[in-house]
Amino acid sequence: MSGVADILVNGLALGSVYALIAVGFVVVFTVSGVMNFAHGSLLLLGGYLTAVLHPHWGFLAAVTAAVAVTAAGAGLVELVCARGRHLGQAHVLTIVTIGVDILLLAELSRLIGSDVLSLGDPWGTGVVRLGGTVIAQSRIASVLVAVLLIATLFALLRWSRWGLSLRVVTADREAATLMGVRLRRVRVSAWCVAGALAAVAAVFLAAFPTPGLDRATGQVALAAFPAAVLGGLTSVPGALVGSALIGLTEATVTSYRTHLGELGQSLGDVAPYLIMLLVLLVRPNGLLGAKETTRV
Amino acid sequence: MRRTLPTSGAAALAVLLTLTACSSKATGTQGADGDGPSTGPGVTDTTIRLGALTDLTGPYAALSTSIVNSQQLAVEQINDEGGVCGRDLEIVVRDHGYDVQRATAGYGEIAPEVAAMPQLLGAPMLAALSDDIVRDGLLTFPQSWASSLLGHREIQVPGNVYDIDLVNGVDFLLRTGRVEPGERIGHVYLDDDYGQNAVLGARHAAEDAGLTLVEQRVRAGESDLTGQAAALRSAGVTAILTSVGPAQLASLVGVTASSGDPVPVVGNTPSYASQLLETPVAEALEDHFFLISGAPAASSDLPGVRELVAAYQERYPGDDIDGGALSGYSTMRSLAETLAAACEHGDLTREGIVEAHRSQDLVDVGLGMPMDFSDPAQPPSSDSYVLAPARGADGGLVEVEAASTADAVADYPLPTS
Repeated sequence: MSGVADILVNGLALGSVYALIAVGFVVVFTVSGVMNFAHGSLLLLGGYLTAVLHPHWGFLAAVTAAVAVTAAGAGLVELVCARGRHLGQAHVLTIVTIGVDILLLAELSRLIGSDVLSLGDPWGTGVVRLGGTVIAQSRIASVLVAVLLIATLFALLRWSRWGLSLRVVTADREAATLMGVRLRRVRVSAWCVAGALAAVAAVFLAAFPTPGLDRATGQVALAAFPAAVLGGLTSVPGALVGSALIGLTEATVTSYRTHLGELGQSLGDVAPYLIMLLVLLVRPNGLLGAKETTRV
Repeated sequence: MRRTLPTSGAAALAVLLTLTACSSKATGTQGADGDGPSTGPGVTDTTIRLGALTDLTGPYAALSTSIVNSQQLAVEQINDEGGVCGRDLEIVVRDHGYDVQRATAGYGEIAPEVAAMPQLLGAPMLAALSDDIVRDGLLTFPQSWASSLLGHREIQVPGNVYDIDLVNGVDFLLRTGRVEPGERIGHVYLDDDYGQNAVLGARHAAEDAGLTLVEQRVRAGESDLTGQAAALRSAGVTAILTSVGPAQLASLVGVTASSGDPVPVVGNTPSYASQLLETPVAEALEDHFFLISGAPAASSDLPGVRELVAAYQERYPGDDIDGGALSGYSTMRSLAETLAAACEHGDLTREGIVEAHRSQDLVDVGLGMPMDFSDPAQPPSSDSYVLAPARGADGGLVEVEAASTADAVADYPLPTS
């Protein structure tokens, strides 16, 4: 049945974009204990830079530059805002990120105005037909790129020195410091990784079948928030499962909305959060989150 | 404790006095003086002041800027022609940034000193202010075309309404053989005043023509309509009506055009913006989309439209002229006619202006939109143009069919009737 295939394909494509954002949330939270509310506006920054640079430099160079600048911007947020604060003050930095989000969003909204910006991606309006299902090429690209980037991230976490220090910091910050891990450097690098992933996500959020980047694009990061939370917030695989689940939920609700009557209309907004609440009721630490163990 | 009672009593009295002072309506220079007309708020011996509450910094900044610019252009032209009633027109613009509280504050600030409001943008703002507007007797032109706004003498919808536009749109599909009776058509609409008003027309037209309407509602923030397009494809629709925003239209048309079995898409005016012609879906829009509009295209050959386009481009070089500019300009010109009629009746008070406005049964300012303002319960026009996107055309649109009204409009019950 093409209806089910449509839902699966659209849901997974949407989930792959959410995964790029949700993994950013998780990496930052794991290392610094901060919920980065500026993630949405950093994503918008990445998209905006790609949009303004691609007519001059071409798509690939523009994306590369946007990824680099957004990564640096995210690192700067950590560097400047966390300066002089010890780790116990993560909640303060979380609130600071709300302020950063408001400032950055206000400026980007001013720059973008009411325009719909094209990011000049090479896929255009191309589609692939599989049976009765139509898939936008950009969606296939988003799944492939998300898989590639996240697999690379896994490999780095598993086999690189950076990955090792990051895992050590996650397991025990104090012991990591005592063993000579440069905590500050690890934290800044984690924020940079999150920023880079957000800039890539912006490309796919603004690609067809969406008309382009507008100032509301950053709000989509909010949809990835329940994905990160229901995955456990401290687990990258959890964020992936959560993103797929949220993507599929949204695709299902959209597809069956008409059959659900009045309930269907409001369900579109609340479904991701409803799933998050249900999962947290059954598994308070999320799907794959680390259990808090306290020895008395 | 005993001392607080008189204190709080005095405080209450002070508040009461302040409130009374605030709520008393400013009456301007009311009363006839000698030979001149009676005047009300906003009217002096030399000036008639008008108000505009609009969104210059929020989501509708582009549309609002066009309207403000075109109304300013109309005012400058009218003043160059000698003004109205021997007085110059002047517009006081307040930006509400699409925020109801700011709009309410802005209204409180400008309402006491203006004679009429040629622009009030935003359905939520109008909903919040409509009681005040009716109470203050202030002739107001909302930049919203929902027929649910009809029925007030003071509030003038400035053209054909969303639901009747769609009745005309379905008629266009049938007349041109794009849809046959007995088939299914889709309607994708925003779940707000605009979409809910438009769907009433779509339902009526579908029932009248023996079509089955498949409805899909979308939220304002949604910009990927792949799911809706897939659902409509599964339902086997042969055409789609849209009452959405530009981002949603681009997504829907792009997906349906790429599906290999594209269907015509017919939409209300707010569905389209000429900026969409700079996105990858430009070609799909040109091939499959039709805009149903009470206003003609800016590329129209009508002499009045050509003159306006030339004047607009001279006054605002580099700015593209869109439907908002045409509508805003036409509204300002109509209001000038109203003020001239009120002057003739010797009554430039608010009541006099409303009375003069409702006494006009055909106003044609040469922009291809003749309007009848005499019945507050009816839209001033039930004609719709059929336009199509075209890169390079003024306003990104060309005319497909001249303005006409479908037979099915005659038995359409307006929601306020």
